[in-house]
Amino acid sequence: MAGSGKSAVATIDGQPIEVATPRRNWNIFSREWVLFILFVGPNLLLFTAFSYWPMIENVRLSTQRWDLLSPVRINVGLDNFRYLVENDTFHKVLWNTLYFTFAAVGLSLALGLMVALLLNQRLRWRNGARAIVFAPFMLSGAAIGIVWAYIFDPRFGLLAEMLGWVGLRSPDWLNRPEWAMPAIIIVYVWKNLGFTTVIFLAGLQSIPQDLYDAAKIDGANVFWRFRSVTLPMLSPIAFFLVVTSILSTFQSFDIINVMTRGGPVDATNTLIYYVYEQGFVAFNAGRSAAAALVLFTMMMVITLIQLRYSESKVHYG
Amino acid sequence: MTASKIDRRTMVKGIAGAAAATAVGSKASSVFAAPAVIQSGPLEITYWTSFQGGANGDAQDELVKRFNESQTDIQVNHEFQGSYEETAQALTAAVQGGSTPDMSLLSDVWWFKFYLSQLLEPLNDYIDNSDLDPADYVDSLWTEGVRQDSQFWIPFARSTPLFYYNVEALDEAGLDASIFGNWDTFVENTEALMVRDGDEVTRYAHGHPNGASYIAWLFQGVIWQYNGKYSDPDFTITIDDEAGVEAGNFYLSSVADGWALATEDHVVDFNTGLFSTIMASTGSMGGIRADATFEWGTAFLPEKYSFGCCTGGSGLSILASADSANKEAAFEFIKFSTSPESTAYWAQTTGYMPVRKSAVDSDEMAAFYEENPQARTAVDQLPKTAPQDSARVFIPNGDQIIGGGLEQITVNQVDAADAFAEVAGILEEEAQPVVEQLQAVEG
Repeated sequence: MAGSGKSAVATIDGQPIEVATPRRNWNIFSREWVLFILFVGPNLLLFTAFSYWPMIENVRLSTQRWDLLSPVRINVGLDNFRYLVENDTFHKVLWNTLYFTFAAVGLSLALGLMVALLLNQRLRWRNGARAIVFAPFMLSGAAIGIVWAYIFDPRFGLLAEMLGWVGLRSPDWLNRPEWAMPAIIIVYVWKNLGFTTVIFLAGLQSIPQDLYDAAKIDGANVFWRFRSVTLPMLSPIAFFLVVTSILSTFQSFDIINVMTRGGPVDATNTLIYYVYEQGFVAFNAGRSAAAALVLFTMMMVITLIQLRYSESKVHYG
Repeated sequence: MTASKIDRRTMVKGIAGAAAATAVGSKASSVFAAPAVIQSGPLEITYWTSFQGGANGDAQDELVKRFNESQTDIQVNHEFQGSYEETAQALTAAVQGGSTPDMSLLSDVWWFKFYLSQLLEPLNDYIDNSDLDPADYVDSLWTEGVRQDSQFWIPFARSTPLFYYNVEALDEAGLDASIFGNWDTFVENTEALMVRDGDEVTRYAHGHPNGASYIAWLFQGVIWQYNGKYSDPDFTITIDDEAGVEAGNFYLSSVADGWALATEDHVVDFNTGLFSTIMASTGSMGGIRADATFEWGTAFLPEKYSFGCCTGGSGLSILASADSANKEAAFEFIKFSTSPESTAYWAQTTGYMPVRKSAVDSDEMAAFYEENPQARTAVDQLPKTAPQDSARVFIPNGDQIIGGGLEQITVNQVDAADAFAEVAGILEEEAQPVVEQLQAVEG
């Protein structure tokens, strides 16, 4: 039918009218397809080459034993996954990842909201303060890691000096397993506070003043205005930040690599670092790919849970 | 890169023409004997190194500069790739990407991996066709780079562990360096080498590095001193034998008794006075000389039941994938870098071992040792050193696996029997593919 090329004729109330021909339909259809491919094609090509194909290759690699150099890859089925399931270090890595993610995301959001509320007030030098809070977010994680390694030095570091003012002795942050992860979390939160603050600030400024005025008329005090107006209105922003922060902590590599290299005794070895370590230090490409798949699955599951939660609970203003 | 590729092609043609026209004899220099044929400037080769900045990096820069200025045919472009591990990672990525350098610095634990994958050029023909005298290299260092009678790795920045001590700490305690002769006499005197401020220790008698800073390399000597070893040459793992566990528990007692501490960079902590003594590479000497704020000395590693000290550091290899002209050029640079003159300069500046016998015996080095007796200790200790056990150097990540066990001991104070039993299990599993690959390559 698409190729008839003749006008079809129909009548309404006895008057003949011409309806669009199938050929013209096809023309529009094909033109749209060409446009679609022109717009989407380059991106799709890049995504296929640099994201989808490596992901598929990663799945294949997770079933092989390969040292990244040898021309021969040996198929081992699910052995790499079995290794991860049975391996104590990997269990520790999973725990570290959850510990780091929940602490870093929780603190980033809580402190970000507090700082945003503060910077939303009509304060002097407010803009300067906002810039200062945001600045660390723009710095390289590796550079920050080096500077903080000095700050954490238990003998000569700035933090040791400051703790000394209040009579406290600095822990040996980066050499003790129980302190290394808190140190990494502190640095991560410091770096990302600017981002959460700015996004919260944008959310705060988009809440209509009418709502606060109405709440005031209803007799709501500061706490209730925050509880009943600010928080619900911020929930889409908070949701966005939870998603992006979790995904970013899962992929946070630079600070750990520079400050602790996963140590001491694997205390700061998170999934993303483990993927690197297995792949490029131990040259176990298969195990590395299997761990990467676990990381991918975790991120996928969390994203799906968050999406589902957001549909029912988040208020979109 | 593109420009240099064009140069290389032109160069290859030039060399072929030169070789045919002149039919020169067998000496390597003949390859570059006909610059008149070459119109595109010097042949550029790429060299990946792990030295940048500090005493070692400056010396590396200087060696490359001297080579480039010594002749007009070859231009070495040296590129820093990070630590030994990062250099190996970069080289692995380069192999996958098909864009390898012409030559690379490779550490004691990494060259073997590239050899096993048959990525390194055997150098016997280059050596035979040159005026290089293998007999002038320190024998033990030279033979470490040989597999099945072929040379794959030429000693360059070779080191051994050395015992460094803070002379002022020793003087304060009224002791002399003879206490470092044996671990027992050292342990008896650790209290005198410590300083406390209330209940806080401000100076420990000894410092350990962590796993990432090669504790497994330093412990190699210690386990030998206890008459143990990491493994047999055939990859039978023995670290969890009685002798190994005793050595491991010696490290455990060092932290449990409070006279030693493990830190991320024990050399820096020695330089700032946190430790009275450390074991560290001879290659750390340049940095200690520059940064230590006190008088310091060196001694042989202490003994226990016997003496034990291993070699380490890095050497130079040529990639089999390089163009043949580039390989020849790279070999010229290796010859230059390990010449008696370069060796003398390198050893004096960095603290790495002089790899040439004639350099050790030269008047220049004698004068240097006169002024720097600390460096003399390393040379005197060298004949007593031995190549490391296969488990650390030939099993990929063997260093970090053993280092992880030692961290369990020195940081978490886990008993060595438990820590080493776990390490042995991992090493046995990881050794399997190496054994298979070795069988395939060497038969």
